[in-house]
Amino acid sequence: MNSQNIRPTRRTFLAGTGAVGFALLASGGVTLFDGSAEAQAADETNINGWVVIHSDGSILIRFGAAEMGQGVNTSLPMIVAEELDADWSRVSVEQVSADPDGIFGNPSFGGILFSAGSSSVEGYFTALRLAGANARRVLIRTAAAHWDVAPESLSTDAGHVVKADGERLGYGEVIRLPAPSAAIEQVSEAELKPRTDWRVIGTDKDRLDIPAKTRGESIYSIDVRLPGVLYAAQLLAPVEGETPNLVSDEASRRVAGVTDIVPLRNSVAVLAETWESALAARDLLQVEWTETSGFRNADSSLEMSELISAAESGEGDVIVWEERGDAAKALAAGGRIHTAQYQTVHVYHAQMEPLNAVASVDDDGLGAEVWLGSQSQSVSIGIAAAVLGTTTDRITMHAMQMGGGFGRRTVFARDLLRDALLLSRHAGRPVKLMWTREDDVKNAWLRPPTAHRLDAVLDADGDVTAMRHRVAAPSIMEFALPRRWNPEVGRDLLIMEGSESADYAIPDFRAEHLLTPRRSRIAAWRGIGWGPNCFARECFIDELALAAGSDPVAFRRRLLRESPRGLAVLNAAVEMSNFATATALEGRALGLSFAGYKATMGAGVAEVSLDDGRFRVHRFWAAVDPGITIHPQNYRAQVEGGIIFGLSSLMRERTTFSGGMIDQNNFYDYEPIRMDEIPEIEVRILESGGHPSGGGEIGVPMTGAAVANALRSLTGKAPTAMPFGEGVS
Amino acid sequence: MVQLSVNNETFEVECAADTPLLWALREHLGLTGTRFGCGAGICGACTVHIDGEAAYACQLSVEDAAGHRITTIEGLSENADHPLQLAWIAEQVPQCGYCQSGQIMRAASLLARNPEPDRQDILDEMSANLCRCGTYPRILRAIERAVKEG
Repeated sequence: MNSQNIRPTRRTFLAGTGAVGFALLASGGVTLFDGSAEAQAADETNINGWVVIHSDGSILIRFGAAEMGQGVNTSLPMIVAEELDADWSRVSVEQVSADPDGIFGNPSFGGILFSAGSSSVEGYFTALRLAGANARRVLIRTAAAHWDVAPESLSTDAGHVVKADGERLGYGEVIRLPAPSAAIEQVSEAELKPRTDWRVIGTDKDRLDIPAKTRGESIYSIDVRLPGVLYAAQLLAPVEGETPNLVSDEASRRVAGVTDIVPLRNSVAVLAETWESALAARDLLQVEWTETSGFRNADSSLEMSELISAAESGEGDVIVWEERGDAAKALAAGGRIHTAQYQTVHVYHAQMEPLNAVASVDDDGLGAEVWLGSQSQSVSIGIAAAVLGTTTDRITMHAMQMGGGFGRRTVFARDLLRDALLLSRHAGRPVKLMWTREDDVKNAWLRPPTAHRLDAVLDADGDVTAMRHRVAAPSIMEFALPRRWNPEVGRDLLIMEGSESADYAIPDFRAEHLLTPRRSRIAAWRGIGWGPNCFARECFIDELALAAGSDPVAFRRRLLRESPRGLAVLNAAVEMSNFATATALEGRALGLSFAGYKATMGAGVAEVSLDDGRFRVHRFWAAVDPGITIHPQNYRAQVEGGIIFGLSSLMRERTTFSGGMIDQNNFYDYEPIRMDEIPEIEVRILESGGHPSGGGEIGVPMTGAAVANALRSLTGKAPTAMPFGEGVS
Repeated sequence: MVQLSVNNETFEVECAADTPLLWALREHLGLTGTRFGCGAGICGACTVHIDGEAAYACQLSVEDAAGHRITTIEGLSENADHPLQLAWIAEQVPQCGYCQSGQIMRAASLLARNPEPDRQDILDEMSANLCRCGTYPRILRAIERAVKEG
């Protein structure tokens, strides 16, 4: 998404701290209506929603995205600080938990608080620059009135307004001056700093959340402790859609500290004074389930067979996702047609903090305080209000640092919030509801499986003249975001993004979604469609290169002839890994993949060996182009993390289910990659300029095909289904 | 009632003898820096020191922990200035941060036992702890930095 998608909001923001009389516009603009005397006595001034300046010169910058590890607590405030010309050493930051006045929403998510799709920097970039620039303009105008000079004669320098003669006023001093009486026009985009003047953006600031995280002081919702809190453990329905019949809770009620046993829609909850009592009592519950759910027939291996036959036949519910030229016609015309099939299985998020929610419902049952790790504060507040049948102003949300998100905690984690609220209302006390790891695994909302069928026509010169990428999968949006799902159109970006092959010059191209029925709870997962779709396509591209008598680099260069940014990352990855000229180490081989994520371009190379049928990735090189990098060291960390996440999934991550029940239990049978299994990773960031795009997911999509293509070089045969297993035959 | 020695203080904890130390630390004593990840001794998020040695707090009952010196992340250093904590900042290790207390406690136990581990020693030791964000490369660099800078 580019800056054109940003919809500036112009709602009025009233200063929250009471002392100052600016009426401010959401996008950071200001009009002044009152230079009140109190302003001069204020300890702090809420310059606009984003920026609070204290009289000691310290500055608070707010950010609207939710911190789950991606570093938005630092990268977003850096953007504001740049235009504000703040002294970074005096900046503290605060995540907003609610947005009643419509100021802080992500412009790329319809203006609500929603952190997903690597969209925070991309969505907020322009709004935050304007917010910082407008705050700076207020300070300049205020100082200009005080000095009685033209505002144009003033400049700013790291937290100070500077007069032409060198006299300086700290921002903390400026806010105690009378506000100017004239209205202040908003800063326009054209007036923002040119890139050459940046001194905060593009620098490696230390992340502001890291010191607390080295001391165990960072507080996640699972750490929240409240007076009078009751702990809740749930015995959850073994199969989706089933309800409990509580046969006996006598033994559970006899456990010391248990206060109540509460049947809910799809669980039986134990309320207890201690967590260990709640867990012990849960084990003693005797519950029968309705056993009438259609998901009793759900089986992951049968689902995969369904997907493969849908992808093969092309028959069923077909939705064209991308069309350039006429691939169907080109394929029907015959010629050298090449075909391949690929699959990816269900995978689990495995965020390190098991899901949990803390709620304290008001005495009247129509309001609540909520502590939650949520990728969308706005959605969570809406859910809480709906559960209680109340209005959103009665919900006080505390959006907590998350112990990992990876897509699990947008709308996909609403059930715990609902149940914590119902239990707190029932008990008349605050409730801390926690899932064990087993609960989290057994009740996972999974990345859905996919089956891919690719067909391409090679002409006599070995060029790809036509290609069709068919993806068979259930729809995440149809299930989890029904309000954003139009069955008439049927476009599911969470499944289909990344299938477009947009940077490849293929005259006749089609990507299509074969919509299959859902057999499990499904959700977005780091990389969304880009992971499976780029895996399939980039494996296929290597097969085509081979068939064309070309090599993986030359073949892709030809395909990328109309994409300078694509070519640049490809060439960088090739150069970093010495791909073209490497005389491979004995027993090792390199594999290449060109795989971006949305507007971010990426290419990766894996160096792989095989020992006794077990493969190992020794090194991984990645070149990425996000346009502009706000916070390079953090960006690099995100890319590294994404690569490791991707490697983990291709090695052995697999959730299976039979009879509608997930077979795995805990990290012993769903084991993410460990430290002794990771390669050395080198990331190069290219900056082509333009609008910045995301970094949280770009590492994932490039991994699958890079490793698969390296394995082909070693064995003559590439794996076609993820995960590859720890060994390949 | 169980008596526990945590971070050089003695606490009376009102819980059953078989209660996992993890719940006593987190929910009874409010030492939430020790995290719950799996409850099965496989992820290491709950790593603490028992008499200076890394141990899974989820796998130890309070009864077994009683009479031993228990150290949590909150008690690792006086002023959050253990060489590993400083190295963790210098290398900008944490992302979500949830596993990092356990990572630091395990690394501290390694360095106490072996002040100059080589890379393989570090990998062998640290592979007990999971990090889903993928901070492993920086964990490795931070430990190597702490070894060098002591």
